[in-house]
Amino acid sequence: MNGWYLRSVAVAALAAVLLPGELAAQANKTWLVGQVAPLTGPAATVGTRLDKAVKMWVEDVNTAGGIAGRKVELSTCNDENRPEKAVACAREMIDKGAVIIIGNTLTASLRAMLPLVRSGPTMLIPSPNIVPSPDSYAFQVSPSDESITESVARYMQASGLKKIGMVAATDASGEVGVASARKVFGAHGFDLQLARIDLRATDASTQLARVVGSDTRLVYSSYSGGGAVTVVKSYKNLGLEPPMIVSYANISDAFVQIVKDVKPPRLLGTAAAGIVPDVLKDPGERARSKAFLAAYTKRYSEPVDMINLLGKAATDVADAILRKVPNPTDFNAVKKYLESNVVESVHNQRFSPTSHVGLDSSAVVIVELKGRSWVLADPVK
Amino acid sequence: MNLFTQSVISGLMTGALYTLLGIGLVLVYRTARILNLAHGESFAITGVVAALLVGYGVPLPVSIAVAMLVAVAFATSLHRFVLRPRSEWPAGTLILITLGAAFVARGVMILLVGTDPVSFPALFEAPPIRVAGGALPVQGLALVLVGFGVSVAVGLFLAATRSGKQLLATAENPYAAELLGVDVERARLIAYGIGGLLSALAGVLLIPLIAVDFQSGLAMTLRGFIAAAIAGMSPVGVLASGLGLGLFEAMVGAYLGALFQDPVMFFVLILVALWQSRKIRFGGGRRA
Repeated sequence: MNGWYLRSVAVAALAAVLLPGELAAQANKTWLVGQVAPLTGPAATVGTRLDKAVKMWVEDVNTAGGIAGRKVELSTCNDENRPEKAVACAREMIDKGAVIIIGNTLTASLRAMLPLVRSGPTMLIPSPNIVPSPDSYAFQVSPSDESITESVARYMQASGLKKIGMVAATDASGEVGVASARKVFGAHGFDLQLARIDLRATDASTQLARVVGSDTRLVYSSYSGGGAVTVVKSYKNLGLEPPMIVSYANISDAFVQIVKDVKPPRLLGTAAAGIVPDVLKDPGERARSKAFLAAYTKRYSEPVDMINLLGKAATDVADAILRKVPNPTDFNAVKKYLESNVVESVHNQRFSPTSHVGLDSSAVVIVELKGRSWVLADPVK
Repeated sequence: MNLFTQSVISGLMTGALYTLLGIGLVLVYRTARILNLAHGESFAITGVVAALLVGYGVPLPVSIAVAMLVAVAFATSLHRFVLRPRSEWPAGTLILITLGAAFVARGVMILLVGTDPVSFPALFEAPPIRVAGGALPVQGLALVLVGFGVSVAVGLFLAATRSGKQLLATAENPYAAELLGVDVERARLIAYGIGGLLSALAGVLLIPLIAVDFQSGLAMTLRGFIAAAIAGMSPVGVLASGLGLGLFEAMVGAYLGALFQDPVMFFVLILVALWQSRKIRFGGGRRA
């Protein structure tokens, strides 16, 4: 009895000394989320927009007290869209012990980073150009470029078109676009007229002259950023009439501001349907999209664009991992969870053991710029 | 649409741009013996400031005038307050300082307009001129006319005016020019001013046809440098090299594809450099 009493007192005393410290340590621990993004350099316009969505998520989570008692600590590394720098960034994140890396950068950088995360941590990718291997720990939260091209093909079918002119950039993203176009349009038996444009080009009229014939009724520019503006303005300068589809990366207010006075008679774009929430059939997706659109606009005083939306998709998956997987540092457990559960988001992400791409072509729609808003596009008449 | 005609039109526009940028770079190089890597920033500054002012509702002509003034002020200030006090420093260090100035300008532009591209309306709003199956925007015609016209005017200014001759004298031998009463520093300031003005002019004429962002400047410097280098850093030669480069680039892009543009262009640049250096290599050559 005496021994039991003494042991109890000793355990209680030890607990009294250690437990508050343990609790404090637990509270002080954070979920370290790494972000690799081009915040300067040629792709800064993409990196900064994705970064805004990530920062918004981190602040919202931490304001609400964190996840499982831990706050989220964001560590951002600017890779300037340079693959060698992206690799250094990824190494730094892994060394720091990041539980998730959000790869908010572009194709070449992402490809360079992938071998480093072969054994974890989990990497989330908003770019459509990667299509990670199902045996990896990388997950793509956007539809693949092929799915995006498939949506263009669907639109052509709905419009009864058989021929399309396409202008693609001479970079890694452009090459992915060209490969998708050849595969998808070829499979549909469409006639593809293709021209590439250098990233520094100050005129796209020769490219357009190459791809637009008298019987061309639709032109697709997979180019993004400042180069896309050059294509649109050259289109106007040539006085071309057919509707023009621009890349999803151009579904932004900044782009609209520049081209609003020089846009073709019909300016279309590829987009995730969440950008026009009313077309979403799933009530949950519709509600989440609307909520994000409103919250983002309130916070940053600017409308949401496609890049922000993909950033939101990445943070939704990150959020689900931290909340639903008992030990998010067990990357096999994370993989298993993502492969067997639907992650609720602005577009629900459906990964599987055979595909680490969360969205398919059904999430992509063709939108049209009307005024300053993007709405679902009618077929070409 | 006729691909050949359109390539010629595109080549003329690109050539005019090369020429405008190249002449300014050459003038500065020949008077101050410095390759000004911040040269293209005047182009970007013009676009950013004009876009910003137009966005605030300032009338387009006023916006453009202010933007050009800021661009010229940037170019002349770089000389007057940064490079001139360090004129005894090695040329390589001064060139690095101009690169630093270019990055400072980039930083300021990011603060002003962020990372997204910006633009402003064209000076000439009219349907494109259609000729032989090609289309030339009126703004593009202005770029061609002003680009090559200004190049000729600068050549005449250098050859026929007192200030121009002082610039040339400073370029040939600054010490001898100083002994002959030429205000060398004033001549250099004028060269930086003209360089900035031409770069700004290129911006006013081209940016409405494209867009500009905080990092456009260095690409423009590179374009000017290619034209200048092929011309052997000769202000008159830039006219020919700019025109030739523009047409060549457009033809390569149209008939071989954009993937071949850079390899072919830089291969030609190497060939020209080898050709120009033949006399230096084999004795008795002239250097820029």
